[in-house]
Amino acid sequence: MGSAGRMEQSIWSDQDHGLVFKTNSNDAQKYFLRLGKEISEGLELAGYNKCSGSVMASNPLWCKSLKEWENQLGLWVGESSWESIRYLLIFADARTIYGDHGLLNILKERAFDEVKSEHLLLKMLHNTMFMKKGVGILGQLLVETHGAFAGSINLKETAFFPFVNAARLLSFSEGIKETRTLSRISHISDSVMKHHDKSLYSENFATLLDFRLKYGSHKDYDSGHYVNINKLAKDEKKALKEILKVGEQFYEHVRKLLERM
Amino acid sequence: MDTVFLMNSLWVMISAILVILMIGGFILLETGSTRMKNAGHIAGKTILTFGISSIVFWAVGYGLIFGEGNSILGFSDFFYSGYDVEGLGLSGAVFFLFQLAFAGISLTIAFGGFAERAKLSVYLVFALLFSVLVYPFIAHWIWGGGWLAEHGKQDFAGSTVVHLTGAMAALAATMLLKPRIGKFNKDGSANNIEGHNQVFTALSVLLLWVGWFGFNAGSTISVDGAFFGFVALNTNLAAAAGTVAAMLISWIVLGKADVPMMLNGALAGLVAITASCAFVDTWAAVVIGLLAGILVFYSIRFFESRKIDDPIFALSVHGTAGVWGTLSTGFFATPELATVGNAGLFYGGGFEQLGVQALGVAASGGFAFIVSYIILSIMKVTMKGLRVTEEEEIIGLDISEHGSYGYPELVNKEAAAKVSIENPSPGNVPLSSQQPSIN
Repeated sequence: MGSAGRMEQSIWSDQDHGLVFKTNSNDAQKYFLRLGKEISEGLELAGYNKCSGSVMASNPLWCKSLKEWENQLGLWVGESSWESIRYLLIFADARTIYGDHGLLNILKERAFDEVKSEHLLLKMLHNTMFMKKGVGILGQLLVETHGAFAGSINLKETAFFPFVNAARLLSFSEGIKETRTLSRISHISDSVMKHHDKSLYSENFATLLDFRLKYGSHKDYDSGHYVNINKLAKDEKKALKEILKVGEQFYEHVRKLLERM
Repeated sequence: MDTVFLMNSLWVMISAILVILMIGGFILLETGSTRMKNAGHIAGKTILTFGISSIVFWAVGYGLIFGEGNSILGFSDFFYSGYDVEGLGLSGAVFFLFQLAFAGISLTIAFGGFAERAKLSVYLVFALLFSVLVYPFIAHWIWGGGWLAEHGKQDFAGSTVVHLTGAMAALAATMLLKPRIGKFNKDGSANNIEGHNQVFTALSVLLLWVGWFGFNAGSTISVDGAFFGFVALNTNLAAAAGTVAAMLISWIVLGKADVPMMLNGALAGLVAITASCAFVDTWAAVVIGLLAGILVFYSIRFFESRKIDDPIFALSVHGTAGVWGTLSTGFFATPELATVGNAGLFYGGGFEQLGVQALGVAASGGFAFIVSYIILSIMKVTMKGLRVTEEEEIIGLDISEHGSYGYPELVNKEAAAKVSIENPSPGNVPLSSQQPSIN
């Protein structure tokens, strides 16, 4: 799940994963939790920080049998609180890396159906509405004023969030099981979004991925999300502003689509 | 008894009470803008500050300001006994109390620059020395018939005398005390040490705003022609304009309407109009407040970029806005309202009054800074430092200086919560500690 689920990792990544197993028993649960713990510790040894939100297979919340998972997804949809919606959004980015791919597909279809039948999309939209602005009224890039990243722009919150959230919300409404933002965009049906718009959003998101790799400082997990704008040339700043603008446009586009539904 | 005498006395008494209530505003302002672990200390020492400055003002301060003397200082009327002053038109004791309140406010502003790191003993000693060696000089020069008064310096209720003087002492203190632990990073970037209660801070601004009607409108020290109403109106307009301007400028530049910045804007508007409230038209009061709101925003950024840690923004709110307010009469004073000095530049007065105002700022600000710096430097040597130890600063001044917390239950709970977050059991992670991110 997370950025690795979307295949949009930067140089550093933290852990976001879970387990789905077939046998619905206490013993199986015990076994897979133990396995989850091994996996998460192994990943940590390999350099992947543990997830601060505990989205890991070592956490019973993310390590369940198929049946339990189905219950859980139903509960999340039913509860539709800020947290449970956040969990559903995280779940949408899941892909299988080992084992029976069918299990996750069953769960995803279930989640998409439930979200649609409970009209949860608008709530999901509102859950993701708070985003940091990247460009000010005067057209200036808005940077951090305090802390270790003062003078840098937070790409994760200003640039990635709008694209990722917009594509993810559409994946629910369109039933797209793909997890990459670019794939999600390409799977959007032409009746919902014009081809021209789709390619505009895709191109800008691809540029953003490059931009982060090129200009993020990548000293550690956090620093990869920040770019010091003083180190950018004039045309690079201009390009960044364009990405931010298009991201906002994409999110707005999706907001209008969902509100009309 | 003469009705006018009675009404003057009553009005100024009410004003004195309003100004003393501003101490309450400063308690909430300073406490709300700093961290929980220092709350009891900060609230308590503010009352102590007013206690010390009252005694000193009674013993010598009043005499040094208003006594018979020369153009530098007065030298009579020490240990005021409550007598009336001929030709004053109101009770001598009421006038005394009103002036005492001003001296107390100036010292309280100075102590803003000491917050969260100075030793309690430093507060005690500096309160005494500031009240004798700093404030009376400037108050005498401008209000006690001293040399700046002879030049026609306009400072109706103390943008210079009270606010700039306090802010300059605060500047000397912040420079000598050095920044709080954790304020600046190795690469020079600043961290935001957030205050623990924005509601306190907002409430403090309202208290100060209302108190300012005593501060400014009370400075008419008479009810003649109900001129105090006009002064109060100008005061309110400037505060309002400062609030709006600071909110808008932070929104435009930073992309978010910053609440503490908006509150600082209100105070900056009030500080700026303090010099000019009786000398300018209402439209000018709005302009003065607007510019104060914008200035305070850039001033705060400036001081931070110079690595000066000013926890409650005393330097910008009282210093920068105090300078602007003092200069503003040199631009906006109208010929009709300028009962002291001349009309300003925009009313055909030329640069003369502006020059006098600038001279007043330079002389008063310079004097307050230099004398405070010398006093504090000597104290630093003789008192083995101005600052508590690192350990004491980290555990907080409530415990280190007084042995008890301002918020005993909350601080203990917070410490307990920290332990449980660091060692979460699986499946039982507090939601509040999870990152609201897309992962």
